[in-house]
Amino acid sequence: MAKLIELEWRKLDQKKVIGEVIVYWVIIMFLPTFFIKVIFADMAFVDFSKSYANALELMLPIQMGLLLFGASMINHVFIEEYKNKTMSLSFGYPISRKKLVMAKVCFIFLAVFLCTLVSFVLSGITTYVIDQIFDVIHGQPTLEDFMAFTVRSIVHSVVVALISFVPLFLFGIWKRAVIPTVICAVFLAQFSNFTGLLHITLNTDMLYGVLSLIGVASVYLSVAKVNQVGDI
Amino acid sequence: MNEVIRTHELTKTVKGKTITSNVNLTVKKGETYGLLGPNGAGKTTIMKMLTGLIIPTSGEIMLFGKKLTESAKDGLKRVGSIIEYPIFFEHLTAMENLRIHCEYLGFYDRKAISQALDMVNLHGIDDKKVKDFSLGMKQRLGIVRAMITKPELIVLDEPTNGLDPIGIKDMRELIRMLNKEYGITFLLSSHILGEIEQMADRIGMIQQGKLVNEVALADIQKLRTDYIELVTSNVQKTVYLLEHDLQISNIKIVKDTRIRIYDMKRSTSDISKTLISNDIEIEEIQKHTSTLEDYFYHQIQGGGKVG
Repeated sequence: MAKLIELEWRKLDQKKVIGEVIVYWVIIMFLPTFFIKVIFADMAFVDFSKSYANALELMLPIQMGLLLFGASMINHVFIEEYKNKTMSLSFGYPISRKKLVMAKVCFIFLAVFLCTLVSFVLSGITTYVIDQIFDVIHGQPTLEDFMAFTVRSIVHSVVVALISFVPLFLFGIWKRAVIPTVICAVFLAQFSNFTGLLHITLNTDMLYGVLSLIGVASVYLSVAKVNQVGDI
Repeated sequence: MNEVIRTHELTKTVKGKTITSNVNLTVKKGETYGLLGPNGAGKTTIMKMLTGLIIPTSGEIMLFGKKLTESAKDGLKRVGSIIEYPIFFEHLTAMENLRIHCEYLGFYDRKAISQALDMVNLHGIDDKKVKDFSLGMKQRLGIVRAMITKPELIVLDEPTNGLDPIGIKDMRELIRMLNKEYGITFLLSSHILGEIEQMADRIGMIQQGKLVNEVALADIQKLRTDYIELVTSNVQKTVYLLEHDLQISNIKIVKDTRIRIYDMKRSTSDISKTLISNDIEIEEIQKHTSTLEDYFYHQIQGGGKVG
């Protein structure tokens, strides 16, 4: 399986993917301080600048932006391969389709997980450095803040990687449509904001949990149904 | 084990439409088998099923004596193929494409790559991206990929498509050489009769998704008949003269003015002389040999088997 995952990486247009990831990282690393200093500066009811613990709460939804990277990976690894018919090359190898799909899923999971984790680290460092220069957040980060940040970064990276699979079965394998895949990712990234706009209060952790389960279900269907819907 | 491929009642249905129906095909070890049929007959679909690209709706495929299923695709390790047209990761170089292919098949002989490239005269393309290749180069690179892992069976769908005349000749020679010198079994498809005639040992005729007939080319050649065809406005008198004056018995009136003489004991000039001396006006007289085209036409029209 490790070899198959490595081959998925080698088949990609690596420069394009790396360039895309760098753009996500650069944009996201400045967003926490931008939101604190500009967007929420005049909003009395939210104060993410109160402490590092509060700032962390802002950082989590921002990292959901990497769901777009997940959609892009579904596009490269599944949809483009179906459209360019390179998927047929894989199906001609003495490897079952289920195993091939599983390798692709594992590759996307690893890619999104690692990119989100690195994004957390970069955002954390950038926020800290900017805070030291411009005094954006009150006080200094404590060891507790650091530990909470580390744990939430890892857990949330897993969550982002799982949620990114939500469009996989329907739009990636069945319909093989890029735009719906991206729209679905945008919708998922903004889901908590939509519920806020509709004055629906949802427990964020529970929401992410449910979306992660939908992602797992989508992976299950993708693997289980590839022989029925996966023909070239 | 003498059979490389054997299918039993192989059927593929897509959205209620039957693409191939109950195909029972046999390809023997070491032969070049040609699938012949008009466009849309189902040749590519059969090849796709044989190479694991699509899953049959029903029926069975035996590859090297073992049943080919989604969970048992080991036989495909011994198969190289190009179906429809050669597909590559266009943003990668030829070398990267070939290496990835080899790794999927667990084949790690780097020397084999350069040997195969030499065999099809593809030089200096190591770092060139496939998107910059011409169709002919892609076709040759596809052949390299198909044979690089030293397969025992190579499946080629319309192998000369997109090649220039020299490329077509090279391709034919390469297939012959690989078949004769390396004993590789070939399954080829084409809708061009002459193409198949020049390469195949045995032919399977496909029409509307069905295997109409399987026949060795040598057998067709035995069945080949020579005949003289003449065109005249006075068919009745001509037939009388042919039968009574020239003692020709095997005659067929094809159309109102066209007569075919299968009895070749009289030459064209003998027939002409006799007819002209009896005031028969000959519009046309020519000696013919029935070709694979005639045989194929007869099979498709009649749909029957040849005894």
